[in-house]
Amino acid sequence: MADRDEIAEAYADWRVRCNENDRLRRMLRGWDRVVHLVATDTGDRFTVVVRDQILAELTDGADEVADVVVTATSEDFADLFWGDLNPSQKYMSGEITLAGAQEDVMRLDAMSMVAFLDQ
Amino acid sequence: MQDRTCETLVIGAGYAGLSAARELTRAGVDVLVAEARDRVGGRVWTQTTPAGALIDHGGQWIGPGQDHLQKLADECGTATFPTYTTGEGVEWRAGTRSTYAGLIPTSDPEAAADGIEAIFELDLASAEVPLHAPWDAPDARARDEQTLGGWLAASVASDGARATIAAAVKSIFGAEPGELSLLFTLFYLRSGGGLMNLARTTNGAQERRFTAGAQQCALHLAEDLGDRLLLASPVTAVQYGGDGVVATVAAAGPGGDRHAFAIRARRLVVAMPPALSVRLGWSPPLPGRRDQLSMRAPMGSVTKIHAVYDRPFWRDEGLNGQVVSDDGAIRVTFDDSPADGSHGILLGFVAGSECRALDGCTPAQRAHIAVADLVRYFGPRAAKPVEIVEQHWPAEPYTRGGPVAVFSPGLLTDFGPALRDPVGPVHWAGTETATEWCGYIDGALSSGVRAAGEVLAALSG
Repeated sequence: MADRDEIAEAYADWRVRCNENDRLRRMLRGWDRVVHLVATDTGDRFTVVVRDQILAELTDGADEVADVVVTATSEDFADLFWGDLNPSQKYMSGEITLAGAQEDVMRLDAMSMVAFLDQ
Repeated sequence: MQDRTCETLVIGAGYAGLSAARELTRAGVDVLVAEARDRVGGRVWTQTTPAGALIDHGGQWIGPGQDHLQKLADECGTATFPTYTTGEGVEWRAGTRSTYAGLIPTSDPEAAADGIEAIFELDLASAEVPLHAPWDAPDARARDEQTLGGWLAASVASDGARATIAAAVKSIFGAEPGELSLLFTLFYLRSGGGLMNLARTTNGAQERRFTAGAQQCALHLAEDLGDRLLLASPVTAVQYGGDGVVATVAAAGPGGDRHAFAIRARRLVVAMPPALSVRLGWSPPLPGRRDQLSMRAPMGSVTKIHAVYDRPFWRDEGLNGQVVSDDGAIRVTFDDSPADGSHGILLGFVAGSECRALDGCTPAQRAHIAVADLVRYFGPRAAKPVEIVEQHWPAEPYTRGGPVAVFSPGLLTDFGPALRDPVGPVHWAGTETATEWCGYIDGALSSGVRAAGEVLAALSG
């Protein structure tokens, strides 16, 4: 189990890598979205805002209306952001779920794979 | 056999024809269905092998969003189960074997990321294609003049990424990327929710399989038709005009000899791929645009090979049975074992150029080549299957290839509307005419519903 602070720390690390990745920046063009992260074991909720090809800092809670909702265990969120977990594998096994419009799900799915591969 | 009369004749008892016939029957229309083969299902065909394995020779999966098929499966009480995906896939690249987790081979992470970005770009471009009129898409003509192969060469830097996408495309279309119009590819991807979706097992087009085989629902539909369904009844000629149609059927008699009879109908639904539909012997000849469309939509080339083993031994080694390869006859595989894993079945696709290269081989020769590939991917335990079963679709007389028709450059922009436009009393069904899940069983079903709707409107008009 990972607490809020650990997920936030891992996300901060991941965010820097993503925002410096040219390929990911290309893939984020025209995609301003609100993404909620829901940890299934702890019930913790977070919000990530993507605007102008930049991932914003993680915020606590899930107040805004989300375009995509990602659910996973707190441990998987932390591992994913540390770059230790292949998101594609977890999505295939159903341990990570994505809910939202098909195009938004596709975008997030592809971007998370690239973030994992391109680190 | 006596001549017959009905309100609407359906030619083809694949899922498209059966779906059209069901809709029409429900609306009280007097229907006959003529099917050339001695079975229903078309490009979906389930068989039990001599060793007792249940094999789907053709279409076999159901995935999220395939609502027509799911509804039919629910109505028929046909159970499904998840495709086996636990463990890692095998990647064969440049003569080296490795394993990978997730959707795409990762031995070269840069190539994998390139591949994902390319898939992503294709899926984004596909989202702009209007499904009912792909010829109205942005840059439709420029994209229809280009092939997917040309786009890959110009847009994807790494060889590895192009090889991975090519392997997926071959299995999906039975064609090389250079054969496919880019506009058609984008349309096809959008109609199935994107390439990422079409390539996936879980959360994608290969998510589940039918416990009793994918033909089961077709058999249910056939049962409902009773003696309105005529098997082993190939149509050899169709006369059409203002009064309706007269189809000549060459039915097989008890001794195998054929004798002709006529079916007269007010309307006709042709539920066949375009390339085959024009072989029916039309009188008068079909309009030029319709006939030329068919010349630009050849069937893909695919052989499905099933290797049956005592048990799914690759699972012991943490493998999910999936392969992506840049070499050999079989370049994509799946674990096609039954739900209970009581025996192991590997399904290999031999597609595109590889399929054509082995067209002159005997089934035994193809089996020998297939086993060599499987040993390369899964080790020596793959060397001795209990049996090898193949379906070489190009040789099937009433299908002549598969899994789907391949639309060449120029087809959609110059001939597209002719895909569905009725010709007098003749209506067109078949998965190639579908706007959603084109090329899939689900698309076949919805095309039948659409064609039946046209017929009902015409009959009441």
